[in-house]
Amino acid sequence: MIKLKNVETVYEGEKTPVIKDINLEVKRGEFITVIGPNGAGKTTLLETINGLLEANGNITVFGKDIKKYGTEIRKNIGYVPQDFSCDSLTPFLVKDVVMMGRFGKIGLLKSPSRKDHEIVEKTLSFLGISELEKKPIGKLSGGQLQKVMIARALAKEPEILLLDEPFSNLDLNSRSDITEKISLLNEKGMTIIMVVHDINSIPERCERILIINNGKIIEDGEREKVLRGAK
Amino acid sequence: MIILPSKIILFAVAGAFLTGILCSLIGSFIVRMNLSSLGFCMSHAAFAGAALGVVLSFSPLMMAMCFSTVVALILGPVAEKAKLDTNVVIGIIFSLMISLGLIFLSFSPGAAMSSTALSILWGSILGITIEDILRLLLITSSIILMIVLFFKEFQAIMFSRKMAEASGINTKPFYYMILFLTGITVALSLKLVGGLLVFALMINPASSAYQFFYDMKKITILSPIIGVLCCFLGILLSFFLDLPTGASIAITSSLIFGLSVMVSPKRKRG
Repeated sequence: MIKLKNVETVYEGEKTPVIKDINLEVKRGEFITVIGPNGAGKTTLLETINGLLEANGNITVFGKDIKKYGTEIRKNIGYVPQDFSCDSLTPFLVKDVVMMGRFGKIGLLKSPSRKDHEIVEKTLSFLGISELEKKPIGKLSGGQLQKVMIARALAKEPEILLLDEPFSNLDLNSRSDITEKISLLNEKGMTIIMVVHDINSIPERCERILIINNGKIIEDGEREKVLRGAK
Repeated sequence: MIILPSKIILFAVAGAFLTGILCSLIGSFIVRMNLSSLGFCMSHAAFAGAALGVVLSFSPLMMAMCFSTVVALILGPVAEKAKLDTNVVIGIIFSLMISLGLIFLSFSPGAAMSSTALSILWGSILGITIEDILRLLLITSSIILMIVLFFKEFQAIMFSRKMAEASGINTKPFYYMILFLTGITVALSLKLVGGLLVFALMINPASSAYQFFYDMKKITILSPIIGVLCCFLGILLSFFLDLPTGASIAITSSLIFGLSVMVSPKRKRG
């Protein structure tokens, strides 16, 4: 489903690539957690897979080249960024922000249909945040905003879900709730790649772990084996 | 004798109505995207164009329109290619345009000619012709149509361009479209409020509308309503107090903005 061959990503004005020699194959329905120290290249890896960063090497998602078909491919990838924030006067309501996740899928010259609105409502209810629907996005707490961004990614009904530190800003109850929900989605067939920095927050359902350090994948294997090695 | 003034007033009112809608509608986008300096940059491009028109003995207004349109067309791609913040490119083009304008003026034959170019910066509502009105009507309807057709894409970009891209929207054409439409808006509004004050008409009504709602749709509707109100009140002020029209409109819009901040429900506690 996702294939990266000899991939490296260099930021504008930099000489050293943030991630390099990345070779990775992800099968449909896998649940992968990426761990590593700060600045290891975890976020860059997710954004490279999503085609949001220019990279060298071959990247194919759904069998298509992300460089050529990025916009098309991203219609089926849900992405939750790390620590997304917005100012308190941001003129958007929660339901509008969640609906924006579906805009690519809805397509040009079409307005959200009743079905789209139902999906947004269902997603908000799935994450237990229906009561936030009409709240201004800028008035939410960090945890609430994080859940809304997850809802936005899920409203797209994606085949792949990329989560960058989804538990940041969440309290313990919310963490276990979100873990349960994404595990359920994976059970239903959604491919999930999640970045975390805390080994303890790796969901039980995750069966494969990648460790990144200095921009390279230094471990890639079964959960127990990798975690034993890491300890 | 009586028909002429009433015709002039009718044209002025129609021009004010359309310019109020046009500038404030585009303003609601550029305020949200932190591109407020864009209007200012375009106005100076218009000034440089008008000055060149004076030097070449060509219509200053047409040249002003050409310059703002060209700047609007190249701004987005230049910022994108050079990987620079759009505001940095706006600042550079702004300084380039004002310098070009002054150089062109130094070549112009006389003070009277220079004042023709400078008049582009101040505008003259009573000089509006039926052709101007038709042009304004055409571009206002086109912009409204584009906003209706692509509102969801514009909305997603205004929330976060990166997240819009992640949602599967190719943001580049829509971003360029906003820049281009801003240039066209400035070019066509020159005659009414002038190159300098068109900036006020873009920013002030939109910023006022932002004080009342958290819903982008409502802001996009309220902004042109406030814009039209500013134009009418400004014209009345200018007629009664014998003040320059563009300046009266700008002052009115600033006062309305101040009032909006004071009564804004967004700023109330409890």
